[in-house]
Amino acid sequence: MTPQQLDATFAALADPTRRAILARLSLGETSVNELAKPFDMSLPAVSKHLKVLETAGLISRGREAQWRPCKLEAGPLREAFGWIEHYKKFWEQSFDRLDEYLRKLQAGEGAKKTKPKKTDRNK
Amino acid sequence: MSPAEAKNFETAPEKAFTITRTLDAPRELVWKCRTDINHMKQWWAPMGTKIVADSTLELKPDGMFHYGMDLPDGNLMWGKMVFREIKAPEFFECVLAFSDKDRGTTRHPMAPVWPVETLSRTTFTEKDGKTIMEITLRAINATQEERDLFDASHDSMNMGFSRTLEQFAAYLAKVQSK
Repeated sequence: MTPQQLDATFAALADPTRRAILARLSLGETSVNELAKPFDMSLPAVSKHLKVLETAGLISRGREAQWRPCKLEAGPLREAFGWIEHYKKFWEQSFDRLDEYLRKLQAGEGAKKTKPKKTDRNK
Repeated sequence: MSPAEAKNFETAPEKAFTITRTLDAPRELVWKCRTDINHMKQWWAPMGTKIVADSTLELKPDGMFHYGMDLPDGNLMWGKMVFREIKAPEFFECVLAFSDKDRGTTRHPMAPVWPVETLSRTTFTEKDGKTIMEITLRAINATQEERDLFDASHDSMNMGFSRTLEQFAAYLAKVQSK
């Protein structure tokens, strides 16, 4: 996924109505009328949101039948959440490393490392 | 500037993303590990990377922790935490951002709609010889879109952290039973 595509995915996800639409579609494909029901919103307004989702590749819309079923496309979502997972892991793992480092310090092993060195090998 | 680009949105305080961890060490030591550059160089960088020697930490308002990380893919990625209020050893506040070697403010290349700046407050509370470290994160100076995305990602992050805390508690119990 290119940065531009990821950008479009995130922009699509940054709206609560669109997230609610995706949540509903995760239960199965359905029509625009069905999707519009929970919202106090006109059909054209809902269609606008669907257009953003479709452009981002998060949903696809069938052409058969008059009701053009909307379907969730999982690939882009998985990629976007991959990035959020990465961010989350960063914090989780930094705590793990601090834990480990504190244990070592208190066990005396780390004491040598914090003395000033003449040569800095940390490049 | 159009309304969509206005960068005056921030995460409401009650919606801040919070991470809490109890560390088995006295507060003074935890504070030092988190604010002294020689300690930070030992543990801050993720596994497989190192903080480069040029990284610095100036613990004062408007001072910053500026660090470069040598990533496994060969890239050098910079980040910074610019300090606001500091009250040793109780808490400090700082603004997190991706950076460059000249201490500029940049975006992460892979997430163009993520807030550029995140306000973080870290508190240290001592209890029975251990330290409770709590970090809260809020998007600031963001567009509405960036702020909403940041806020929306918390649920998935919070779920992940509860699992981590369970694992940590189990690990502690195992270690202490030896």
